[in-house]
Amino acid sequence: MPKRRISRMFWESSIPNVVAGGASLEASSAATSSMDDEAFAAFYERSARSLWAYLARTSGDPALAEDIMQESYVRFLCLASPPSYLDEGEIACRRYLFRIATNLLRDHWRRPRAAFIEDLPESLFACPGEQAPFDSQMILGPALKSMRPRERQLLWLAHAEGYSHREIAEITGLASASIRLLLFRARRKIARLLQSLEDGRGA
Amino acid sequence: MMLRSCPREAEVKALVVRGQWPQACAPELRAHVGSCRACSEVAVVTDAFQRARNQTLPAARPGSPGLLWWRAQLRRRNAAIERISRPIFGAQVFGLAVNLVLAAAVAAWQARHGLAWLTWLEQLPQNIGSNWFNSLLPADLFSSGSLLGPTALIAALSGAALIGCVVVYFVSEKQ
Repeated sequence: MPKRRISRMFWESSIPNVVAGGASLEASSAATSSMDDEAFAAFYERSARSLWAYLARTSGDPALAEDIMQESYVRFLCLASPPSYLDEGEIACRRYLFRIATNLLRDHWRRPRAAFIEDLPESLFACPGEQAPFDSQMILGPALKSMRPRERQLLWLAHAEGYSHREIAEITGLASASIRLLLFRARRKIARLLQSLEDGRGA
Repeated sequence: MMLRSCPREAEVKALVVRGQWPQACAPELRAHVGSCRACSEVAVVTDAFQRARNQTLPAARPGSPGLLWWRAQLRRRNAAIERISRPIFGAQVFGLAVNLVLAAAVAAWQARHGLAWLTWLEQLPQNIGSNWFNSLLPADLFSSGSLLGPTALIAALSGAALIGCVVVYFVSEKQ
C-alpha cells in the first residue's frame, strides 16, 4: 500500500494538477481563465432561461430541452478554444452556447426514434398558476407543430431571440445567403398558418 | 417563390420587440404595414414569437450552475487522465506484442531442434514413486549437449511470465 501511494505521488508531481483538475489542460485552461465559477454563474443566470425556451419550443420536449441545456453548458466549459468572456463579451459566449445546443439538438434528431417528440401537449409549457390560455399558445403551438425542425429553429432565433442572419448562420452552421431564403420561406409559411388559425378561431 | 423583402422590415421588427407595435408607432408606418406583405408578415410572426418567448421563459427551471461547473471540471479531469493514459496503454500493447513474439520464437526454435527433452514427461509415472524430486527434472537435464534446450525454455517461460505480470500490474493500476 505505501508503495502504491509513493508511485501515485510521483505520477501526480510529474504531471501537475491533472488529478486536482486545476490547470488541467492547456486547451481548456483558456475557458477557466476567461470565465471563473462566479462569472459562469452570472452568465448562466442570464442565459439559461432563453436557451431553455429555445430548446423547448423547437424540440417540443421540455425534459429534452433541460438535458440538452445542461450538456450545452458543460461542453461550453470544456471547449478547447472558447470565445473569450472578457474580450468578446457575453453576446459571443451566448451565441456559441446556442450553437452548441443547436448541434446537440440536431444530433438528437438524427438518431432514429420510435416516436417523435412533437406529440407532447402544449400545456407542458404553461406557467404554474396560469389560468387563461394565451393567444400564442393557442395559435403558435399548432403552427409550430406544422413546421419542420430547421424552420422552427430559424424562426425562433430570428423572431424570438432577435439574431441577425449572420448570427443565425454562425449558430446553425448554414450559409448566410441560405438563411435569408430559408427564413423568408419559413416566415411566409408560418404567417399563413397563423392567419388561418386566427381566422378559424374568429369563425 | 419570389424573395421580396422590404427595407422597413427591421424597423417593424424592432418596434414589435420593444412592445411599441402597433399603438406607439407612427400612423404612416401602420399604413405601410397594412399595404406591405413582407412587413405585415414580420409584424405578425415577430409578435407571436415574442409572446411565446415571454410565456416560456418563466417555465424554465434552470438547475444549479455550481453543479454544471463541477461536471465540467470532472469531465476535463477525466479527459486529462485519458490523455496521459494513452502512452501507458501503448506500452502495454507493446509489452504484449513482445511477449507474443518471444513465445512464438521459442516455440519455433524448439520445433526446429526437436522435443527430445520432453521424454522426461513420459518417464514421470515410473519415477514418481521411487524419486519424486528427480522425476520433476528431465532425465537428460545434466547430460552434456541437451542442457541448453530446457534451460532456454525455462528462461523464456520465466521471462514471459514476468512480462505478463508487469502487463497485468499496469492494467490493474489503470483500473
